Order: sequence, then C-alpha cells, then structure tokens
Amino acid sequence: MMRRSPFLPLICIAGFVFLYAPIVSLVVFSFNESKLVTVWGGFSTKWYGALFRDPQILGAAWVSLQVAAIAATVAVILGTLAAYVLMRFGRFRSRALLTGMVTAPLVMPEVITGLSLLLLFVAMEQIFGWPAGRGMTTIIIAHTTFAMAYVAVVVQSRLTGMDQSVEEAAMDLGARPVRVFFDITLPIISPALVAGWLLAFTLSLDDLVVASFVTGPGASTLPMVIFSKVRMGVSPDINALATIIIAIVGLGVGLAMWVMVRGRNRDKAVQRTE
Amino acid sequence: MTRLLSLTLVSVALASPVAAQQTLNIYNWSDYIAEDTITKFEEATGIKVVYDVYDSNEVLEAKLLAGSSGYDLVVPTSNFLQRQVKAGIYMPLDKAKIPNLGNLDPGLMKSAAAYDAGNAHSAIYLWGTTGIGYNIDKVAERLGDAAPTDSWSLVLDPANAAKLADCGISILDSAVEVMPGVLAWLGLPPDSTDPDDIEKAMAALTAIRPYVRYFHSSQYITDLANGEVCLSIGWSGDVFIAMDRAAEAGNGVNIGYTIPSEGTLQWFDMMAIPADAPHPDAAHAFINFVLQPEIIADITNYVFYPNAVPASKEMIDPEITGDPAIYPPQEVLDKLFPATVYDARTDRLINRLWTQVRTGQ
Amino acid sequence: MPRAQAPGMSAPALWRWTAAPLARLGLSGRTLVILVPVIWLLVFFLIPFLVVAKISLSEPMIAQPPYAPLGTWDGLRLTLDLNFGNYAFLLDDPLYLNAYVFSIQTAFVSAALALLIGYPMAWYIARSPEPRRTLLLLLVILPFWTSFLLRVYAWQGFLRSNGVINNFLIATGIIDTPLVMLQTNFAVYLGIVYTYLPFMILPLYATLVKLDDSLLEASADLGARPVATFFHVTLPLSMPGVIAGFMLVFVPAIGEFVIPELLGGPNTLMIGKVLWGEFFSNRDWPVASAVAIVMLVVVVVPFMLLRNAQARAEAE
Repeated sequence: MMRRSPFLPLICIAGFVFLYAPIVSLVVFSFNESKLVTVWGGFSTKWYGALFRDPQILGAAWVSLQVAAIAATVAVILGTLAAYVLMRFGRFRSRALLTGMVTAPLVMPEVITGLSLLLLFVAMEQIFGWPAGRGMTTIIIAHTTFAMAYVAVVVQSRLTGMDQSVEEAAMDLGARPVRVFFDITLPIISPALVAGWLLAFTLSLDDLVVASFVTGPGASTLPMVIFSKVRMGVSPDINALATIIIAIVGLGVGLAMWVMVRGRNRDKAVQRTE
Repeated sequence: MTRLLSLTLVSVALASPVAAQQTLNIYNWSDYIAEDTITKFEEATGIKVVYDVYDSNEVLEAKLLAGSSGYDLVVPTSNFLQRQVKAGIYMPLDKAKIPNLGNLDPGLMKSAAAYDAGNAHSAIYLWGTTGIGYNIDKVAERLGDAAPTDSWSLVLDPANAAKLADCGISILDSAVEVMPGVLAWLGLPPDSTDPDDIEKAMAALTAIRPYVRYFHSSQYITDLANGEVCLSIGWSGDVFIAMDRAAEAGNGVNIGYTIPSEGTLQWFDMMAIPADAPHPDAAHAFINFVLQPEIIADITNYVFYPNAVPASKEMIDPEITGDPAIYPPQEVLDKLFPATVYDARTDRLINRLWTQVRTGQ
Repeated sequence: MPRAQAPGMSAPALWRWTAAPLARLGLSGRTLVILVPVIWLLVFFLIPFLVVAKISLSEPMIAQPPYAPLGTWDGLRLTLDLNFGNYAFLLDDPLYLNAYVFSIQTAFVSAALALLIGYPMAWYIARSPEPRRTLLLLLVILPFWTSFLLRVYAWQGFLRSNGVINNFLIATGIIDTPLVMLQTNFAVYLGIVYTYLPFMILPLYATLVKLDDSLLEASADLGARPVATFFHVTLPLSMPGVIAGFMLVFVPAIGEFVIPELLGGPNTLMIGKVLWGEFFSNRDWPVASAVAIVMLVVVVVPFMLLRNAQARAEAE
C-alpha cells in the first residue's frame, strides 16, 4: 500500500471546515432568541415550535422532498441510459442530436429553462389537455430534464474510465446485452449512479427559478416559500428546519454506518470461528 | 362497511361539483395580509382558498404573460397593472358583484385611475410611497443636526453621500422607482420622458455612485435593522418593517422614514382578476370581502401599509394613522406623483442607463 | 469484494416485462434504449428550446405573450417575419460582450479553484476504507440539503463588516479597519466555489474510487515518488472525472444569477444578471432569448465538436 502523507487529510479537513462553517452558523442561529438571524439574542427553542405551527413551510418541505426524490430517480435512469447509449452504442442516427441535447440543459440559464418549459406546458394543456394545470408533476418533469444532464456527465466520465474488456468478454461468452448491462456494467458504474443521484437530488431541492415558473396554484416548493420570506430577512424557523433535516440525515447515516460496521464485525467473528 | 363506503362515495359525488365551484386561487405579495383574513373569508363564504405568494412584480408579470396561470386574484403594483391591462390580461370587474367598491376613497381611486381608466379592472388593496429610510443616530453623527432629512439632498447631494459612504448607502435596484424622485429633486418634471432629462437624472445618480454600497430591492430591510447600512432609498412599508425588526432585536438602531419634500412616488397595489381565471365569482367575492372596513383595517394593522377605505381608519391602531410617514397629511399627499409608464424604447433607454450607473459600463 | 448485483428487478424479468413486448412490435432493444432518452429530451428540451429560438427572432410587444407572431398565414400565403435585430443589438452594445467575457472568466476561475480544493478531497474520500468512505461522501453533500438561501445568508454573516471574520481579524490585531468582503467579486468566487464544490467532488470521486490500486503500487514499487506517481499515473487515469467535474462547475456557473445577485457588488456584471434584467425589467423576452441562445452556442457547440472528434478518434 502507498504511504500516506499527512498533507491529504489536512486539506480534506480544511475542505470540510469550509463546507460546514456556514452550516454551523445556521444551526447556532436556529437557537437564537432574536428574529434577526445575524444578531445573537440569547438561547431559545421557540423557532422549532414556530416551525411546527407553520403548515406552509412544512407542506412546502414535503412537496420539495417528494419532487426531489422522484426527479432524482427518474433523472438517474434517463441520464444513465443517455450516457450508456452515447458511450457504448457506437454510431446511430440521432447521436449528434443526443450529444447536444444532453449537454445543453447545463448551460441554459434557469430563467430561460423555466420560461420555455412553462410555455410548453401551457401549449400542451391547450392541445392535449395534459398536464392539466401545473403543479408537482410539471416541476418533476422540469427538474428531471435538467438533472439528467448532470447525471449523464457523471456517468459518461465513469464509463470512459472503466475497462471495457470485461463487458466484451461477457458478450463473447454469449450474454445478452441487457444481462451484461445489469450484471457487469451497472455494478461497476454504481458509484457514478450514487453520485449522480445525490447531485440530482440536491439540484432539485435547491432549485428556485425553474420551479417558480412551472408550478401552479397550491404547489410551492421550499425554496419558493423561503425566497418569498426573504424580503423580511430569513426567519430563524427556516434555520430550525435546516437543522432538523441535518439531524435526521445525520442520524440516518450514523445508524447505517453502525449497522454496517456491526455486520462486518459479525462476519469477521463468524469467519474466525469457522 | 360497504354502506359507509357508498355513503362516502355519494357524498364525494355530491360535493365535488360544488367544491370545484368553491375554490379561489390567490397570488399575493408575501407577508401582505393579516394572519386571519383568509380564515375569516373561508368561514364567511365557504370558499376554500389556495393562497400563494410572490416576491416581485416581475415574477408575477412573467407568469401572467405566459398565460393560463391558474390564479383567480392577483395584486400587481399600479404601473405594472397598466401595462398588463394593455396586454389584455385582466377581465373587467363586474361592479354589481362588489358593492363595497363604494367604500374606497374617491380621491385615491381617481389617482389610481391614471393606471386603469375608470378603475375598470382593479380595486386598491394597499398603497405606499418610495422614500428614504435612514439610521437616525448615524446620520446625525455624520451630517450634524442640520442634516436635510426632509429632502432628497440627504442622499442625492454628493457631499452628504460622501459622508455617509462609510456607514453604507443602498438604493432600490429599479430605475423606474428611483428616477422620478431624482427628477423632482433636480426641479424637472418627475414624469418626464425626455431623454435629456433622463440623462440628467442618471448623471446625478452617477455622481453619488462611488458612495453607494449596493443596489437591491429587499436586502436593505435586514441591513437597515442590523445597522449594516445607514441609508436606503426604499419602500415605506419595508422601512417600517426594518424599524420593527430593530426594535424587536433591541440593538439600539433607530430608523426613520422620510417622504422628501420635493415629492416622491405614490404607488398602489391593485386587486385584479386575470381574464382566464377559473373562478372569477369567488374572486369578486373576495374583493368585496376585503373592502369591508373592519377586514382591511386588520390588514393595515398587520402590514403597516395604508389602505384606501376611509371608514377603516377608526379601527386602525392610532400609532399607524397618526404617523405622517404612513398616513401623510394632505399637503404631503398633494406632492406625491404617480409612477410613469414608459413606452418600450424609453424603458430600454432608462434600464440601459441604469446598468451604466450601477456597473460603470 | 461485495457481490455484484443489480438493484431491483432481475435482468431477465425486466427484459420480459419491458423490452420483449415492444420487440414484438419490430423495435429492437437497442433502438428502444436509444429512443427513451432521445424522446424525453426532444419533448422537454428541444421543443422548448425551439420555442426560445423562435421568440429570439420576434419583435417584443405589449400582449400576452409579449412578443409578435413570427409570421402570418392568410389561407394561401405564408408571410414570415423574422427579426434578426435582437442579435445585431447584442453585438452593438459592448455591455453584452463584456458580460459574456466576465462571466466566462469568473466561471473558469471558480471551476479551477473548485478543482484545487475538490481533487484532494475526492482523492482522500475515494481512498478511505468503507464505511468511512460512504460517510465522508454523504458529509460532502449534506450541507447542500439545507437551503441555498440559508447558506448564502450564513456567508453574508461571515463576510459582512461586523461579521465573524472581520471581528476575528480585528480582535487578533491583524487588521484595524474591517475588510469589505461582501458585495465584491471575491464574495462571488467564494459563493460559486462553495455552491458548486459537490459538483466537482462527486464526479471525481466516482472516477477515483475505482482506480486500479495495482497501478499505483506498481509505480511506487518501481521507485516513483508519490508526486511523480500522481502526475504520471493518477491524474491521467482520473482525467475523465476532472473533465466532468470541471464541466459541471464551469458551464452552469456562466449563467449564474442568484450568487452574484446576493453576494456580488454593483460591478459584478454576469450575463445571468443581464439576461434577468432583459427579461424582467425590460420585459424584452426576444432579447433575453437571444442572450440565452448566444450563450448556448458559445458554450455547447465547441463542446459538441470536441465530443464528436473524440468519438471519431475512438471509433478509428
């Protein structure tokens, strides 16, 4: 094994400090007595109470989570298909078109993406009667479309990096392409799928502009509700919500780790007794 | 069990056509209504309200222009409303369904008719002014007691601006909001569309540009309250919110709001019904409901913006009605002027010059 | 090595339920796999994009929607009315060119900074043993599940003149008067690097995690110093990840609006902000669309040519 220099962990720690400095600050200010998120006014948990009495924020958070989970999942499926087709299918008729279409959403400014999809949905409703009105469905479609571009880039980079000989060997042995994909390619590119899903989920959860365009009455995502409160300065109950999200995810991650470590230790114990 | 189920089915079947009738999709400014107004309306009429909020006229306008927004009632500001009426976005109000329109102050409605001929499509919700919010102590400290706190000179005179630069000046990021006041200060007609006048106004702004910390239309609320900036050209109600925030935080920041004596913009936020609204009857009912003196008084008490229903005055907190910055006396009212609506070319010229002022390019 | 297994349905079942019935219709599996993403993007990207292209060629007017129709059809004759004036207008005013250049420059610097920070982090995470690896990966993404605005506000709290950083520097005597950091280009770089860091780390991680250890060991065994191994073995092997990460930061950052709006100063002239102004303040949808189309052409076309050249080189 290669010798590790202490340099790497140090940079890594510095990086995490950079990432978490604002998070620590927003967690701290969620316990602030004062309504101003920048001035410390004493310890209080009142914003947590205020949060649970605010159906608007909780409803929006729920909408956002559903949209992000669905959009990220669909985006991973479509983005992976697009990347796979581009990297493994050689030449086909719509190749150049697909290359362009899968990259372009990255560079389209949000305003234009939002507006153009809104115009499309309005026109589709007039012509086909679907989607009837706008709301969660239309936000999911919009998010899927731009998130799949990100997924495709990540998966493509993984496919470029991987050794193709294994796939070829399996094909030579007579495996169906579908089989090869699911049994060989997919496990190898799985880190890219996880990375892609996480990015897509994050993108969707944080999107404000596109969602504001393509939503309709009654379907507000969390960033929309937060942004509408910005005129007054961010109120600490949003900080409380962020703290809760971090706590829940942190707890979940911790639990999963614990289960994994325990499982591994038991395996080792079993191996030892055998 | 089956009977219960079929009963539910019947009641759903019976309820659904009625329920479809009885919803109302409102799209209003954020934090711009009393906490219980919607509940009271739902109780009084049985109409279910879907209440969404926006943060800028521009976002509202983009949605309306794209078509079939799904909203039944929106609250654009008057100069935006005028253009939207021209674009055919709103349906004429059926005034027979809104008897409470009679509660509105005829003088203010006449001012508002400048944007919507004969008030055919809209009714005043609340109104306000564009003025100067300032940190009383810091401004006094830097400019002395002789500080011209009743004039645009407080910020537009480069000598004053230079002294305030270190404690922070902010300006609304909207040319059409700021320019008329500057024109009035220069002694030019505030509604001038003469390119020469516009250039002069922009030159005046360029002169104080080095002393301006930023141009933004909402950031200043928190910053004024925190003491991060000490002077903002901003909207009346927003400055009052900053005042309130500072008092709440007890951080020793005292904020004042001034309507400059040279005159400034008066704007109206107007209730209007999009032509493609799915539930226009419910929207009419809502306008009528809001224009009751006790309901609109609640709203003013909550958001600190004046309304246009004189009969509501006695139900409003005297601290609000007594504040000349919120309910200005007649001689100040006479100096307020409506926002100018520019044609597309002038609009572009103004915004281009504005970018030049902001970025130096 | 964990058992390699596809999540969810097994492959043959999936085949039986999805592809097989369609194959009977005369569509091969291959065509189907191509068609799914192509059709999705055709409907939800290309058609809307063509609508934008159409708007960019029309004349603004006060109407719903706020632009003139492109042509008229009187039953016999089709009259097209294409207005290229919007593009000419962009060339005419140096504002737009300056904004494009400044945006590309800002995006490039930010992407480079993100790479410098992100690469060591991704490398360290990818080389960590499980379960620490997964834990670190989730820790990278977790801050981004709070809320974008909260994070920006937190940064404002750090950067403002009576904020944490200035107070610290003054207390330790390093500086006397507060540094102005908010509303500067520095704050914009910081905001972009912070916001896009996971978009750099995750693709890098995905490439680095499957890097063949034996190559690195071979290099070390042959006496190469770690630095040499890095530049001659690791970096070339992780190039796909570097390119992907760089792209995911650089490309979207060009059109960024919210970060320069909240952290930048008046001199921060990003094209996203210019476009926003055209769209919302000038209500000139045609010029706004033209700005977007030009941006797309400037960024995507070179990229597509590059990709096609790559594909051709690989095919040969």
